[in-house]
Amino acid sequence: MSCKCVSFAVLWAAVALAAGPEQLARGEKEEARNCVACHSLRIIHIQRLSRAAWNRELDKMAGWGAKIEAREPLVDYLVANFGDDKPEPPPVFTEDGSTK
Amino acid sequence: MTPNRRELFTTFIAGAAARFLRAQDTVTVAGKRPLILHNDRPEDLETPVRYFDSWITPADVLYVRQHIPRPAPIDANAYRLAVNGLVSKPLSLTLADLERLPQQTVPATLECTGNGRAFFRPKVPGIQWSRGAIGNLEWSGPRVADVLALAGADSAAAFLEIDGADSGVAATPDFIRAIPIRKAMDPSTLLALRMNGKPIPDIHGFPARLVVPGWNGTNFVKWVTRLSLTASQNNGFFMNPGYRFPKTPVPPGGSASAADLEPIQGMPVKSTITSPEDQASLAVGPQTVRGFAWAGEEMIERVEVSTDGGSRWSDAELSPEKFRYAWRLFEYRWQAEKPGYYTILSRASDSAGRVQPIVATWNPSGYLWNAIDRVGVKVEKKA
Repeated sequence: MSCKCVSFAVLWAAVALAAGPEQLARGEKEEARNCVACHSLRIIHIQRLSRAAWNRELDKMAGWGAKIEAREPLVDYLVANFGDDKPEPPPVFTEDGSTK
Repeated sequence: MTPNRRELFTTFIAGAAARFLRAQDTVTVAGKRPLILHNDRPEDLETPVRYFDSWITPADVLYVRQHIPRPAPIDANAYRLAVNGLVSKPLSLTLADLERLPQQTVPATLECTGNGRAFFRPKVPGIQWSRGAIGNLEWSGPRVADVLALAGADSAAAFLEIDGADSGVAATPDFIRAIPIRKAMDPSTLLALRMNGKPIPDIHGFPARLVVPGWNGTNFVKWVTRLSLTASQNNGFFMNPGYRFPKTPVPPGGSASAADLEPIQGMPVKSTITSPEDQASLAVGPQTVRGFAWAGEEMIERVEVSTDGGSRWSDAELSPEKFRYAWRLFEYRWQAEKPGYYTILSRASDSAGRVQPIVATWNPSGYLWNAIDRVGVKVEKKA
């Protein structure tokens, strides 16, 4: 096995191990701690993005003032729940507010 | 804070957020019929296409796109519009000043730059609009050119910069747009004070909203509080890299460097089927395929419909309203003779000879989706 293959295998194992339930719970907590100050979570949960795309989104949010501490758990949580391999969420409708 | 205390605090915040979310599970937006909810804070709401059954879109179904939270409602008496930059006489205008200028009315389609983003593959980040981030409205107010004339525009001015009363949260950028002076001075470009004949609802920009007919909705800045003439283009996030399109197409999933992007100006040719709905069940017999088509600064000349996946096309009938910048409704009478599954398509052509493409141009931000529209229907025997 080449050196590159070994390092990929190690990386894969690390990612698989890291994204356990505790890691995902940390990620969810980080999401609540960081994101809801500026916007509701729906705008996150309607997306279906790759790991690379989620990382780019977090870079953008960090540039806009998000102080992300548990970055890896957060990315793992986002990919595990809202990755581009996940089914699209069904549409949600607002209640009728036309007379309010 | 010690790690333990911090953890407790974080848990508390997360719990509070979860409770808040549960409380928000149903969302009602004042003045709006049920709309597709993409986000509630700030509001991003999409119109279900079945509501598009009239040439003018009523305010209570119009889509909503907020980049940053809505500003506090503006008091009409306290409202002031700053007109400054490259002008001989900087001004602070009241709503009454704007109402005293000649009022123009322009019917114009408003479409979110990202309408249709949900259809791009691979998927791109952003609000996953499908087909309803669009509407056709009647806008009234003074011409921007008349407002700028009061202040005496300098001939060195190349851009109009527009800012609204909304401002970012945390370090998010302020929503500021800029358009070239040529478009700003166009007699159809308005500082609208009315939408469909009534004061603009707060959620849509009361008391003044920029209307840039034929251009992407991003330019229709809400709650306008400042118009500035500048020599160079504003370079804030919402001008660069926001709302830019690759100068030359990139492969789906690819990227484009800042130098390869240019601001979007104008909109492509596009049609959308509003009836029947996708995956609807219809009875054998006469059916009507309906929809709308628009073409940015051009005019819709033709809409064709196919009911067999694109083998054969027939001309649809176009509504008599034919205004530059406004959509036209189309209608095609179809005899659904045999039970079965049918793929219905619509394809628009415009006064510049542009034809709606089979494949929309993939781009990293998912803008300007305009592929041939498509719905599938089941035709069943009458019961």
